[in-house]
Amino acid sequence: MKLQKHWFIAVLSVLALVASACATDEGGEATTTTEGTTATTADAGTDTTEGSTDTTVDEMDLTGTEVTVFGSESSDEEAGAMQDALNVFAEANGMTITFTGARDFSDQINAQAAGGNPPDIAIIPQPGKVADFAREGFILPLPDDVIAVLEENWDPAFTVFGNVDGVQYGVNNKADIKSLVWYSPTAFADGGYALPESWDELKTLTNTMIADGNIPWCVGIESGGATGWPFTDWVEDLLLRYEGVDVYAQWWQHEIPFNDDRVKTVWNEVLGVWDTPGAVFASEGSIAATPFGANGEPLANGDCFMHRQASFFSAFLPEGTVTGPDGISVFYFPPGPTGARPVLGGGTLPVAFRDAPEVWAVMKYYASSEYANNRQIAQQARKGGELSGFLSAAKNQDMNNYLPLEQVMIGFMLEAETLSFDGSDLMPAAVGAGTFWTEGTSAVNGDSTVDDATQAIEDSWP
Amino acid sequence: MDRVIAVVIGVVLALGLSAIVFIGINKLFDLSEKRFAIFNAVIGGVSGFVVFALLWGNQMIVSPEIVTLMATLIGAATGFALGLVKTRSGRLAVGVAGGLTLGLVAGSATRSIAWPSIDPVAVVVGVALGAGFGALHWVITRRRHSARVLILAWLSVGWLFGAWLAADLDGSKAEVVFVAAVLGLLVGAWIGSVPYPDRLTRASIATGSRKYIFLAPAMFFIAATLLVPLGRTIWLGFLTGTPTKLEFSGLENYVSIFTDSGIIDVSDWTSIFTGRLFWSAVLLVVVGVGLGRWLGRSGGTGLGTGFSLSAGTGMLIGVGVILGGFAFFTVIRGTIPNNLWWIFSVTVFSVGLGLAIAVLADRSKGENAAKSLIFLPLAISFVGASIIWRGPMYTARPPSQDQTGVFNAIWVQVGEWSTSDTSSLVISLGLLVIVAFAGYIGLRGWQSGNNAILAGSVAINLALVWLVYRFLGPGIGGVIPDPITGEPIPDPVIFLTSNPWNNFWMMLVFIWIQTGFAMVIFSAAIKAVPDDLLEAARIDGATESQTFWKVTVPQIFPTIGVVATTLIVTVLKVFDIPKVMTNGNFDTQVLANEMWQRAFTELNFGLGSALAVVIFLGVLPIMYLNIRRMQRERLG
Amino acid sequence: MTALSPNVRRPLGDRIYKFLRSIPTWILWILVIMWTIPTTGLFINSLRTRDAQRSSAFWMAWQDNANGQQFPTLENYQAVLGAEATGGLTNGLINSAAIAIVATIIPIAIAAFAAYAFAWIDFKGREWWFIGTVALLAVPTQTSLIPLLQAYSRGVHVTIPIIDKTLTLIPDAGLAGTIPAVWLTHTGFALPFAIFLLHNYIAGLPKDIFESAYIDGADHFKIFYKLVIPLSFPVLAAFAIFQFLWTWNDYLIALTMIGGNRDALPATVVVASLAGEFGLREHLLTAGAFVITIVPLIVFFALQRFFVRGVTAGSVKG
Repeated sequence: MKLQKHWFIAVLSVLALVASACATDEGGEATTTTEGTTATTADAGTDTTEGSTDTTVDEMDLTGTEVTVFGSESSDEEAGAMQDALNVFAEANGMTITFTGARDFSDQINAQAAGGNPPDIAIIPQPGKVADFAREGFILPLPDDVIAVLEENWDPAFTVFGNVDGVQYGVNNKADIKSLVWYSPTAFADGGYALPESWDELKTLTNTMIADGNIPWCVGIESGGATGWPFTDWVEDLLLRYEGVDVYAQWWQHEIPFNDDRVKTVWNEVLGVWDTPGAVFASEGSIAATPFGANGEPLANGDCFMHRQASFFSAFLPEGTVTGPDGISVFYFPPGPTGARPVLGGGTLPVAFRDAPEVWAVMKYYASSEYANNRQIAQQARKGGELSGFLSAAKNQDMNNYLPLEQVMIGFMLEAETLSFDGSDLMPAAVGAGTFWTEGTSAVNGDSTVDDATQAIEDSWP
Repeated sequence: MDRVIAVVIGVVLALGLSAIVFIGINKLFDLSEKRFAIFNAVIGGVSGFVVFALLWGNQMIVSPEIVTLMATLIGAATGFALGLVKTRSGRLAVGVAGGLTLGLVAGSATRSIAWPSIDPVAVVVGVALGAGFGALHWVITRRRHSARVLILAWLSVGWLFGAWLAADLDGSKAEVVFVAAVLGLLVGAWIGSVPYPDRLTRASIATGSRKYIFLAPAMFFIAATLLVPLGRTIWLGFLTGTPTKLEFSGLENYVSIFTDSGIIDVSDWTSIFTGRLFWSAVLLVVVGVGLGRWLGRSGGTGLGTGFSLSAGTGMLIGVGVILGGFAFFTVIRGTIPNNLWWIFSVTVFSVGLGLAIAVLADRSKGENAAKSLIFLPLAISFVGASIIWRGPMYTARPPSQDQTGVFNAIWVQVGEWSTSDTSSLVISLGLLVIVAFAGYIGLRGWQSGNNAILAGSVAINLALVWLVYRFLGPGIGGVIPDPITGEPIPDPVIFLTSNPWNNFWMMLVFIWIQTGFAMVIFSAAIKAVPDDLLEAARIDGATESQTFWKVTVPQIFPTIGVVATTLIVTVLKVFDIPKVMTNGNFDTQVLANEMWQRAFTELNFGLGSALAVVIFLGVLPIMYLNIRRMQRERLG
Repeated sequence: MTALSPNVRRPLGDRIYKFLRSIPTWILWILVIMWTIPTTGLFINSLRTRDAQRSSAFWMAWQDNANGQQFPTLENYQAVLGAEATGGLTNGLINSAAIAIVATIIPIAIAAFAAYAFAWIDFKGREWWFIGTVALLAVPTQTSLIPLLQAYSRGVHVTIPIIDKTLTLIPDAGLAGTIPAVWLTHTGFALPFAIFLLHNYIAGLPKDIFESAYIDGADHFKIFYKLVIPLSFPVLAAFAIFQFLWTWNDYLIALTMIGGNRDALPATVVVASLAGEFGLREHLLTAGAFVITIVPLIVFFALQRFFVRGVTAGSVKG
């Protein structure tokens, strides 16, 4: 055989080299990951962090720089207002900041971080995720000057959410309060009802309303794949009121079992109210079928008197609903037997993936009261002057930007003796976004007893 | 507007470049027979470019643009010369000259970060190994190629490894020039030793290369996007930990998958046989089979066998099988049985309905309109579809409010009818009239020897009589007595949380989408059934339904296989619908969503990868069997 | 229909027979109506206000005006089309088109080459290569997303084991966050199915055309573009429709590969984002779904006539 194709073989061998090298690459990448974290973190730029802490960002020229921000707020009002607020800062400094909001943010930021394509700044709504990212070396600890701005504007009760093992990674830029009961002051006045000052009074009020032939509560916990979460908020709020922050923290950290008697007591308290005949508009059995967003209409119509839900609930009121003393207002979810006044809240935490002066400048801006002012003004304008849905607890913000009702909500947060983050966001996802919702729902439905449901959650803890 | 222009330019560039590359390569290899020198020049230039681009990519050379351009030109010139010179010594000289030049260029342009400090031991080992491999290669290929060529080729590789890659990179400029020059010399000598190909060889380069040219792009993309990541997934499946701290832990992930109580739960299996569903299934299958046997024997119009398969008996048995399957899957719970349930329902319903619609629409009035409307859901994304079904279809509202979901509105309305004496009586009477009419038609059909009509009327009447019984007897629909007053109040179904049936409600969304896919393909297949076969059957006295079952169905059987395979593969990978509708809660978990949650939501790559492997291994046998079957069909 | 045996018809009576004949058509149209209900509901709701969608069923839309809600209203469509968040819908539609067009044409071309090679070029182990290729249909593609994103964002580097040096094969080309990254990903993911479908058809083309072409001296490339492409146009159109639908409706791959680069995100991501957290504005998805669906529908109707013949030959012929 005289077949000689060596030229061809030569070309092919180059191709084959490329191909086989590709093949080893991915395997090799896996090995790199196992061998050491340094390679990955070096990409993220940690090696330069120490040097940057002593640079003062303020005096740097940011003209022409670009910063990308990625977050979960995606609707036109929220994402638009966020961009408006960022534009104020960007224009003042001659830089470009783009905010992208996506519906599947929490999965996507994982993919982007692991895939090496993170944004400059991500706005993370769960402290647990900030901790995970910090431990993975995905995100950067804050330089001192950013911490200084943060501490100047935010109370330690809030900044602790962005603190991982004593190192500050996240700044605060938004705060939500969940310990709220929405009600109509005029309807209360007409019925001769006084605002309850304790959980017992709230239960008495419930019974009084039933006796008067009124339906006290609107409750609906349907939310697609997340059905059950409003129930978890009730449980958390009441656990804080019965046992205090320490037990609460032990509970979500799983230092006490999920089905501890103290927790079960709280479940029974919540279900006791919900299962009282005539107490809930959605009648028993269909609480789990009622979309949580469908409670706005009956509350505004006067079909029920109270609805316990977080500050963002304003967006679910029918269009044109008046808020404030003459319409729908809120009162503080009253204290429990201990008399303590805790607040169950939430919030978002910008974290940085890139070490650059412009990124830290934006991080500082997020922590500042100017951001809170600009964001609130923009968001209120986009909502046509109604409740904006945005709240901040920055100390030096201009409270005049807020409607009276919003000021009340911020007041609850600032006056709170303790502030705790939503526990289901802090638990492992298998529980906090899984069994806590599903078993809670089956307990609400009556498909399961409190003992069985809490036991099932305890068993599912990873 | 700028954005539009930029996008258009991008699209045109991408398409144009792809076309130019592919056509160019084909044209280039056309040249090898008649214009070998030009062909060689291009190959030489490209080789020089690729090698230096690699160096460039590793930031190993100074002023990379110029150096790479030079290398390309030198490569092209060498190639061109080798395409002309035919004498053995001349070729060697040209090769060595070209290689040496390239080597010197590379050596002198290399940045200090890549200067090797020569390690004699490594050099000796590398060279020895290279020579050894060359000899081995020569022996293995049964001495078909020239030993000199092979040994030189392997020597180059050995030198590259021994003198450069294995060395510590802290050497001097002299060393790098020396190493690169020797490397160039060896490669040049290797290529120069290849004899000038004769015309036949050149022609066979042109034809023999086509398979590579035609397959290379596909293989590259498949390797890069599927095969290599698959290898990585298999490897990750043996690791545990967080993304940056993964450790080898053997089969731990697989053990935890298969010991998880949620994966499969057969604890309740006895209740399969106590459920109404199971016994209804048995009843239907028995009636269907019995009827078919009896009609098949007594009838005589059938084409052969003693079983009369028609729309009527087919429906009885089919519904029976479906109910039987549901009786099984509503009791045997867990992620894996759930996936099997998805496969069962989607295949049965999408294939069945798709086939039915294709047959019914075939040559009927408004065929295209009907088919387009059935196809429509395919144009809506899974996420969009899930949102529609969660909203206007499945919504449940408190009893005191009107139902806004189609399903609950109907269900509650039926319930209200069945609790009101007058309306349930009126409806029952109406149904009984239909029963009588259908019975009459069945009887007439039987008298005239058309068993299919009898079977059909039995099938319909069974369903109607059951409905009448429910209306007059225990009641039907979404109404329960109020626990206090005893008054009937609406009792809407909470479709997405009440298990196990919530699984089926999600499958329905998928069926709604995929039936269009099945229908389009079946419709095409039916149109391809040769007319003369149908004519022949009709002349033999077969009825329409007999023609369908005995001529059309066997003809399109391979298509059913293709559609079913495609559906099964898609079903096993579906995760959008469970993710949007229940996120796997309420006992609706499927493997693909579980994988997504582990790998993406929790960043547990190990467990997620292991689940992906389980899915892959589950689909693989189906794929394999199907492809083999199709290949046998093609050959046979 | 005269071919039908007359003994079936007469004893039944013409009227009954006629009725029986019409049953299939009735069943067909009942099925079609059932199939259309969800889409109809979606369409009607897209013309209703948020509060109307929430409080009453879509078939009660005619009462909306009596309840103080405007019907029909275009406010949802205005909100969707005028959206600014996530880059805006116009931008999203342009990106979707850019993604779908290239991610449809390139895989078809590549798959056609490969299908031709598997069907008509003889080489060793051809069957096994084909089986291996198509078997990759079983790979859950989600697992490829992160490694691909890593390759796009950091390039491809390989660590050679013994000598422990890292070599860069492909430097970071900055592909992550761009539309080309989505093209490449879609192309790879589409190939097994495309090759499977096209091979079925191309292998079924009559052998004698190829033989006479060979005798005339045509090479593979010429045969490919002069014979195979025109002859398999139906199946190419068929696959084009499927692939266009998938890439146009794709949400996950685009979002993962583009991530936070707002300017490159396709319409599906923009519309999904409109709903906001907790489904605050989920009512907008009705209009959004319609706006997105229009384009694939146009493509479907345009290519439909090729399509129906397309899949036929491949899957049916023995």
